[in-house]
Amino acid sequence: MKRSIPAVAALAAVASLALAACSGGTSGGTPTSQASGGTDTGVATAPAAPVELTVSGWSLATTPEFKVLADAFHAKHSNVTVTLKEYDASKYNDLITADLAANAAPDIITQKNVSYVTVFAPKLVDVSDLVAGLPQGINGVKSYEVDGKQYALPYRNDSWVLFYNKDLFDKAGVAIPDGSWTWDDYAAAAKQLTTKLKGAGSQALGTYQHSWQSVIQGFANSQTPGANILSGKYDYMKPYYQRALDLQSAGAQVDAGTITTSKLTYQAEFGKQQAAMMPMGSWFVATLIAQQKSGDADKFAWGFAPIPQLDKSTTGTSATPLTFGDPTGFGINKAIDAKKMQAAKDFLAFAASEDAAKALAQIGITPALTSDTVATTYFATAGAPTDALSKFAWTTHKTAPENPTDKNTAAVQKILGDAHTAIMSGSSSIDAALAQATKRVHDEVGLG
Amino acid sequence: MATITVDDAAPGTRRTPRRPNPGRKIRRRNTAIGWTFILPNFVGFALLTLIPVLVLFYMAFTNWDVFGSATWTGLANFKRLLHDATFATAVRNTFYYAVFHIPLTIVVSLALALLLNQKLRGVAFFRTAAFFPYITSIVAIAIVWNLLFSPKYGPINQVLHVLGVANPPGWTTSAQWSMPAVIIVGTWREMGYYMILFLAGLQTVPRELYEAARVDGANAWQRFRNVTMPCLRPTMFFVTVMLTIASFKILDLILVMTEGGPGTSTLVISQFIYQKGFQEFQFGYASAASVVLFLICIVITIVQFVVNKRRAA
Repeated sequence: MKRSIPAVAALAAVASLALAACSGGTSGGTPTSQASGGTDTGVATAPAAPVELTVSGWSLATTPEFKVLADAFHAKHSNVTVTLKEYDASKYNDLITADLAANAAPDIITQKNVSYVTVFAPKLVDVSDLVAGLPQGINGVKSYEVDGKQYALPYRNDSWVLFYNKDLFDKAGVAIPDGSWTWDDYAAAAKQLTTKLKGAGSQALGTYQHSWQSVIQGFANSQTPGANILSGKYDYMKPYYQRALDLQSAGAQVDAGTITTSKLTYQAEFGKQQAAMMPMGSWFVATLIAQQKSGDADKFAWGFAPIPQLDKSTTGTSATPLTFGDPTGFGINKAIDAKKMQAAKDFLAFAASEDAAKALAQIGITPALTSDTVATTYFATAGAPTDALSKFAWTTHKTAPENPTDKNTAAVQKILGDAHTAIMSGSSSIDAALAQATKRVHDEVGLG
Repeated sequence: MATITVDDAAPGTRRTPRRPNPGRKIRRRNTAIGWTFILPNFVGFALLTLIPVLVLFYMAFTNWDVFGSATWTGLANFKRLLHDATFATAVRNTFYYAVFHIPLTIVVSLALALLLNQKLRGVAFFRTAAFFPYITSIVAIAIVWNLLFSPKYGPINQVLHVLGVANPPGWTTSAQWSMPAVIIVGTWREMGYYMILFLAGLQTVPRELYEAARVDGANAWQRFRNVTMPCLRPTMFFVTVMLTIASFKILDLILVMTEGGPGTSTLVISQFIYQKGFQEFQFGYASAASVVLFLICIVITIVQFVVNKRRAA
């Protein structure tokens, strides 16, 4: 019978694996920040009795937006105390899922990733009644709509723009982006920059496109008429991949293999002037300002332009460029105490308001509402670009969601992610990889 | 086994003749003490492992997305697995990893153990050094090895260039070479642990057997084959079983080194389970895949037991 010991050990080991596969995370958050101060401005919607609202967040020390919103809300509703419950950023969705399932989640659930909205929806309050009161022109509202019901409201919505290093453009003698670029113009400029910068003694390349699938697929999805990742047809991505591979082979862009094996970061590639251009989300504005201040990034003149377009029909400052980006929003936990419901709805409405947008803009966050007033606040930040094109790019765009709100989005994105790495590593041709993605989406997800 | 007889009859009472008491009180006390020792661990095991695993077997026959009740779907999840090409890829890749990783790790760790079982100067240092990879952070290992494997700038390909290899492998950036790269790193990481097990086994081999073999004129290979290997059989069996299970449930190294790519070239069963469960919230389907992985491990382990039993006989 002694030999049964390894068998038991084997069973235990396999059982542990099975456990790992089925067990969820546990709540790791603890309240670390509390709104305080401020005076009641006498807003009629505020309930008179003291109310404590708990809001889920992550990395509170480096993500100041939660405390800014909590403080600003408390300033308007002095009877409402907002307590932030911190979660591990990398496990946020797993931990929130576990807490929601256990009815132990905070009153307000921050929606970190749109792809989880359909998962969380059964545990969130329908806040469709708040939609009518939202400010005109706010982005990202549709991302929280499931089966005609609104489960959250956005407060933040980054969108992708083209960052450029004015000093490197000047050094190469190439004209900076003027908002009229298509992707072909961008590719030509990247090659020209690489050649001329080399001639000027610089090692910087024309552009840096990070290894994320969204850097290619996000633009193909948002700019190609009729494109939809849930359609199961992906031929429309081919020109975008051809251009990316062409930039790699021309040496105007670091190859995908080096990005992954050397763990290159986009912050360092652009901040340390290794590339003259970089398509990136608007969140990078705040990062670059902070890094230039701290010395982590070089000091150089920079700005950002609308992202290059598929064709000329959406270029120029008289048109509305097409780009993509997902919102971040707040939803209300269905298990909330009924006495807190009004305060929670007030919080959601406030976070989507222009006042909250200005508070967020002051700390370099791109709010869901990018009105001219908010833009004035945003570009008044020390270190932010001041040119008209940067302001245009920030305020004027049609932002398609990176992740459509659908229960199949996560599965489809995973399959498209596999296609992306296969293409960019040269392991598969574009046609073969996209055809394989179509087949997998059909067979595994049942779409197309 | 020693027994203690306890006379618990009251003074003055009439004693009835009885067989020597085996010491029920002491046995009960010992049992209670034993339970006291084992209970905290067992409660933890039962709550955090045993019950979830039992639930998993139920979940495998349901459709469940975390919230709400699970819906009984019978064998639907298993039928779906049969027709899932990505799951088939994950199974193939897992076997690919296991088939090369298990023998390679056994050979390397046994060779290291044999080498470091000698009376060499600084042997303690070398034993410690060989064990270091096993206790090093897996993330650090992945970063360093990815740098070493970098097709353009990595020292491995630079050495291959110097040796005259015109087109060195793309390693983790190539669908063809990514799995060999993971196998190399997996072997390097685990060899120290299994070396320690083999070292412990080697030190139980009686010296007299080697001396007798020498007297009989056996050379080094013959001593290894006819003395070392038979004496190491229990250790070898234990190592093989543990290594097999570890290889089939490989996840962490692949997640941090390749994330299953490029494409699905290094996607393994555990990662498939993780994706379906935690990224797509198909917990019933993920549970069914876990059951399949469990069955694969249990069948292979049983085969190993049978083979070992026959050899022992």
